[in-house]
Amino acid sequence: VAKLCTCDLLVAQCDVNCCCDPDCSAADFSLFTTCSVPIVTGDSRLCSQKAAVYSLDVKANPPERVFQLIDHVNPSVFCIHATNYKQALYFPSPEMPTPENFDELFKKFGSAAFSAEPESWTLDSDAPNPSDANETYRYEYGVPIQTVDGFLRLPSPVVSSWCSDANPAGFLVNQATKCIRSVSVGKCGNIQAVSMLFYINSSILAKLHEFVFQVNITVQSVVIQSLNGMRTLLNSKDVLRHPMILDELCKNVVLGVSYHITYTDAGEIIEAAASFVLGAINKEALSVQQSFEISFTQVNTKPIPLSGNPGYVAGLPVRAGFKPQKYPFPIAVLLSSLSTNAYGQLTILQSTSNQDCLTAQGGRTPVLFGYNMISGCKLRITAAVKCQPLTQALLDLLKGQSFPEYVASFGNSQAENVHDWVPIIHLQNSEQRIYNTFQSSCQIPVSLEIEVKWTKYGSLVNPQARIVNVTATTTTTTLKQLPSGRERTIPILSSVVFTDISSPAEPGYKAWPTINAKLPFDFFFPFV
Amino acid sequence: LSSVPLQILLYINGFYYIFYFLATLAMIFYKSQVFSYPDNFLAPDLTLLFIMAILEALRLYLGSKGNLTEEEAPLGISLVITVGSVILSVYFLVWQTYVLKADVIINAILLFTYGLESVLQVLAIAAFVG
Repeated sequence: VAKLCTCDLLVAQCDVNCCCDPDCSAADFSLFTTCSVPIVTGDSRLCSQKAAVYSLDVKANPPERVFQLIDHVNPSVFCIHATNYKQALYFPSPEMPTPENFDELFKKFGSAAFSAEPESWTLDSDAPNPSDANETYRYEYGVPIQTVDGFLRLPSPVVSSWCSDANPAGFLVNQATKCIRSVSVGKCGNIQAVSMLFYINSSILAKLHEFVFQVNITVQSVVIQSLNGMRTLLNSKDVLRHPMILDELCKNVVLGVSYHITYTDAGEIIEAAASFVLGAINKEALSVQQSFEISFTQVNTKPIPLSGNPGYVAGLPVRAGFKPQKYPFPIAVLLSSLSTNAYGQLTILQSTSNQDCLTAQGGRTPVLFGYNMISGCKLRITAAVKCQPLTQALLDLLKGQSFPEYVASFGNSQAENVHDWVPIIHLQNSEQRIYNTFQSSCQIPVSLEIEVKWTKYGSLVNPQARIVNVTATTTTTTLKQLPSGRERTIPILSSVVFTDISSPAEPGYKAWPTINAKLPFDFFFPFV
Repeated sequence: LSSVPLQILLYINGFYYIFYFLATLAMIFYKSQVFSYPDNFLAPDLTLLFIMAILEALRLYLGSKGNLTEEEAPLGISLVITVGSVILSVYFLVWQTYVLKADVIINAILLFTYGLESVLQVLAIAAFVG
């Protein structure tokens, strides 16, 4: 009973007014006003049991916590003197489903309702499952990553912008934080939190609670940031750089740390690397801003940034790609090998400040799901331009070097599933009505409109966005020959529109329960 | 020359046992409502209680008859049955599924009575034989 504490909610930190918290020191106890949990006992129906009593002695100065282990006696004559039934006073632990007992459990509990009192109580359900021993040692989502002395800390701003070292990094929780660290004047060499050693000092435990396997944090790269903001990558990454004072500046101060943790799907951490950004601050500076990041990668996989899982998330880029030519024997298509840009995204023309199409550097911006975009530039035409090269240049400008053929239907579509990808439909539109069919004049594309039709897919409470149709409409206009010396300016536009074509949702309800009351076949036996 | 203390004790034992039987039955009922008392633990307890009641009736009748007719045989059988009753009483004191403080009290009194009766029965048999 002395070890139980129901108010100890924060890990490795002192809970307020919790007198039984083992993380609290005597100084913390002196600040409490009451004890939220005054007594911890077992089942109070037992005749005599040990109880842990916590109280605050306010008369002492400073107040201190008083802990007593007393015998709590139940005066009632119906108190439990002894029991020979092991599960009497405890909740039964539910059976863990394994491949062997899954069918039986499904039969018992798989329907819409099952009786609270099972037909037979099993006597051996209090034996600890042998698989539990392995279960507690794997990291699960959100569990703080343990190191040899405590937890892997990701300093983050708490309440104010000042860095607090008490934020443990959670497993598989990608975080990025920025906070301000206070640096006292002239002593930057003594502050631990701005030196590299502080962040790679303790090794991470590969499995929870097991100190046998430890993973050292290696230094992946070191980038030095100069005072004017320019960053250079250092070639030697094995040297640990300590802050040192040199001519009014404090050099090798940690400005940013980025942790990369590699894990296996058994919940073990096998590698940890940290990339540093070191900089120099003024010796007299009182604070420095630090930024921290942590990301997780599964071993043997290359991380592909998903745009949603499974539906697209507004603001994430739309993924697109090509299908390579089919060979005589059908081979699995690899769509992400050749893509519009390095990340496999759909892109449109990016407007530049000088708005001149022909001098544009060809910068393109990825299309973000749900965000309608429009961009353009102005084309100056003189008499000397030729039609065919101009058409080709404009097409390149509007569509980019390699316009994709397929767009991913879901944010997490894999390249191997052909059906998860939607082909882009190309349409041609002519701006001016063609009056005569002897059209020999030049048609140049002036606008590209991409219309993305998407629908809500899935359950009513958690609909996922799914792209159903993508249409790219190219509008052309006739280029009239100009008399020499004259100039014309034509606006070139490219736009992306997202349309929601989801049909109204139809909630599906369960069928009404019916009373299944039928008389047995031979109810009217003697008469039938 | 029947033993008067033995007869008095047997008489009182009869009344006390009726009280004991009803009290234990009531407490088993109470336990089954308040605690989790599954059927495969409830059945042995109830069965043994009823067996104990039957044995007790038999024991008191034989003991009383043997004492009044001054014969050793019924007294001897009664003594043997007393051993069985003692074991059952110890079961209810120690090996029951839930032993409440009240259980402890009434079983202790019953065991004490059995002890006293056994001693008096042995003395009576000695008196009748010799």
